[in-house]
Amino acid sequence: MESLFLQQVVNGLIVGSVYSLIAVGLTMIFGVMRISNFAHGDFSMVGAYIAVFLLAWVPGWMGWVGSLLAAAAGVGLLGILVERGVFRPLLTRWTDLDQIMVSIGLFILMENLAQLFFGATPRTLSDPFGGVTVNMGLVSTSAMRLLCFAMAMVIIIVLEVYLNRARMGVAIQATAQNRTAAQLMGININLIYAVTFALGSALAGLGGVLYGTLFAIYPTMGAIPTLKAFVVTILGGMGNIRGAIFSGFILGVAETLGGTYISMEYKHAIGFVIIILVLLIIPNGLFGRSEK
Amino acid sequence: MALLALALCLGLTLAAPAGAAEPIKVGIVGPFTGSLAHNASEMKKGMMLALDQINGQGGVNGRPLELIFGDTSCKPANGVAAAKKLLSRDKVLVLGGGYCSSVNIATSEVANAEKTPVVVAIAISPTITNRGLKYVFRTSPNSPMFLQGINNWLAEVKKPKTVAFFMENSDYGRDGQKIWEAQCKKIGAKVLDSFYFEIGDTDFTTQISKLKQLKPDVTFNIASTTEAALIQKQAKELNFVTQWIGVGGQFTQAYFKMTGPVSEFAMGSSLEPTKAMKDPVTAAFVKAYQKKYPGSRPGIFSSQGYDNLMVIADALKRAGKLSGNLAKDRDKVRDALKATDLKLSQGAIKFGPDGQVFTVYPSVVQVQLKNCQPDTYIIYPASRAAAKYLEPTPWSKRQCK
Repeated sequence: MESLFLQQVVNGLIVGSVYSLIAVGLTMIFGVMRISNFAHGDFSMVGAYIAVFLLAWVPGWMGWVGSLLAAAAGVGLLGILVERGVFRPLLTRWTDLDQIMVSIGLFILMENLAQLFFGATPRTLSDPFGGVTVNMGLVSTSAMRLLCFAMAMVIIIVLEVYLNRARMGVAIQATAQNRTAAQLMGININLIYAVTFALGSALAGLGGVLYGTLFAIYPTMGAIPTLKAFVVTILGGMGNIRGAIFSGFILGVAETLGGTYISMEYKHAIGFVIIILVLLIIPNGLFGRSEK
Repeated sequence: MALLALALCLGLTLAAPAGAAEPIKVGIVGPFTGSLAHNASEMKKGMMLALDQINGQGGVNGRPLELIFGDTSCKPANGVAAAKKLLSRDKVLVLGGGYCSSVNIATSEVANAEKTPVVVAIAISPTITNRGLKYVFRTSPNSPMFLQGINNWLAEVKKPKTVAFFMENSDYGRDGQKIWEAQCKKIGAKVLDSFYFEIGDTDFTTQISKLKQLKPDVTFNIASTTEAALIQKQAKELNFVTQWIGVGGQFTQAYFKMTGPVSEFAMGSSLEPTKAMKDPVTAAFVKAYQKKYPGSRPGIFSSQGYDNLMVIADALKRAGKLSGNLAKDRDKVRDALKATDLKLSQGAIKFGPDGQVFTVYPSVVQVQLKNCQPDTYIIYPASRAAAKYLEPTPWSKRQCK
C-alpha cells in the first residue's frame, strides 16, 4: 500500500535538500559580508548551464560528475570576480540599500545575458541512470532524485567539516561572528571575503546543477531558488549555516505537506507565511542567535 | 527584462530596405522574455518568414511592412504597457501577435479603446472575442473550437468514468476547465479533484502524488511546453499512469527534447503544420520555413505567427492607399479585416461577426513512439486519423528509455 503522507515527506526532503544547498551559500555570504545577494539563484542558473554544455560534450556519468566539479569551479570563479569587482567596493563606501539594488541589477543583467547567449529554449540534463525509477512499496521516486538528495547531503557534510575543522573555515566563522575582532586577531579580512563569496557561489552553482537535474534549465530559472533561499535563510536565522541546512528541509516538507493537506493553490504562499510568522514571533529565526 | 526590452526595441525594429517608401508600422506583442520566451520566438520566426515574403514581393501597395515588437512577459500589466506604447508612441496601424490569454484580454481592450484593429495570433480564451469589441479579431481557434474534437472523442471513444484537472492557473487553464467540466457532466464522468499550478512552477511532485492516490482515468492538463514536460517527467518518477489530455500547444520541438519517450500516450488538439502536408498551402509554408531556418521544424506557433502577419498584410493591401490620417486608416484596415477570405498554413481564414476565425479545425492527436522517437499522430476524427488510439500502459511495461 502506498502512503500519501510518506510520499509527500520524501518529495519534500528531496526538494528541501537542494533548497538547503543553495540557501547555505546565501546565508554564508550574508553572515560574513552582510550582503543580501538577490542574484544568488542566478549563480545557480550559470552552474546549470555549465552542466548543459559539459553534458552535451561528455554524456553519461563522467559528464554529470564532471559538471558538478566544473559548475563549482566555474561559478566559484565567477563569484570571486563579482565579489572583487562589484561588492567589495560597496562594502565600505555605500549603504545596505546600495548593495541590495546592485544585487537586483546583477540579477536582471545575468538573466538577460543568459537569454541573449543561451537562448530561451528550456533544456533538461540527461539522466545518467536512464530514467530508472525506484518503487519502494510505500513510496516511489527515481534513482536520479535519490542521487541528487545524496549529493546534496555529501556536499553539506563536507562543508560542515570544512567550516569547523579547517583553518580557513574557522576563520570564516570567526569573521561572521565579529568582523572587527577577527581583524584584530590577524585574519586577512579581504581574503576571507573572497573565499566566502567563492564558496557561497560555488554552492549555488552545485545547487543549480542538482536543481537543473530535477527540473529544467532556462534563463529565468534562478528566480525561484533565490526566493526559496531567502525564505530558508530567514527561517534559519540570517547568517546561520546550520540553521539554513535544517530550514531547507523544513521548507521543502512544509510546502509539500501544506500543499497536500491545506491547499494546493497556496503551496508557494507557505514560504511567505513562514517568513511573516518568523519575523513577527522569532525575528532571529528558528536557529538564530540574538544580536549583541 | 529592461535590458532585453531595450535590445528588442533597438535591434529588432526590422526596417525594410533603405530607399523604399516609408514603411507601414505593425505592432507585435508577445512574451519575448520569461518562461514562454521560447514559444514566443517560434511565433516570431513564423512572422519573420511572412515578413520576408511580403517585403520580398514589394511590400504592401508599394510600401514595406515594419514590425515593432513589444514584450508582454506574459503579464497583463506589462502587456498593457507594451500595447499602449505601440499604439500611442509608435503609432502602429494595427496590432498583431499574442500569446497568453490573460494578457490578450487586456491588450485587445486597450487597442479597441484606441480604435485600433488588433489581430490576436495565439491565445484561446473565448473572452477575447466574445465581449462585442469591434476592433478585435483572432486568427487562432478559441478553446471551444480547440476542445470540440477532444469532447467528441471522450464521448465516443474513451468514455472515462473518473477525471481530474491539473491546470495552469490562468484564463487559458480555467476556461479550458469550464468546457471540459461541462462535457464530463454530459457523459457522466466524475470529477475527482482539481489542482492548479502557476506559470513558471517547476516542482509538481506534490500534486502528482495526490493525483496518484485518486487514480483518474483521464487527467486534463492545460500547460505550456516547459511545465507540461516537467509534469510528464515527474509523473514517471512517481510511477503515476493516466491518460494526459492537454490543449496541444505544449507539443513543441523543445517539449519532445525535454521529455523523450516519457511523453508517450499524452494527448491534445493540434494544428501542427507538418501533420497536414497533404494541403499544398501548408506544405509550401513548411518548405519555406525549413529553407529559412535549416534544421528546425515549424510548430503550431510558427504557423500561427505566419498566418497572423499574412492576414494583416492582406487586409492592409485591400484597405488600399492610406490617407495618412491614423484614425481613418485604422478604421479602413478594420473594415478590410472583416472581409478576410484567405487560405493559409492553418487552413481557411474567415472571421465571424465577433472577429473570431471559424474556419480552422484542429484534430485530436496522441504522442506515439516510432523507434522510441516521440511524435504526435492524428487519432481522431477517423477521416483524418494517421494512427489508432493507444491506452497508456504501466511504466514497467514501457520499453523505450
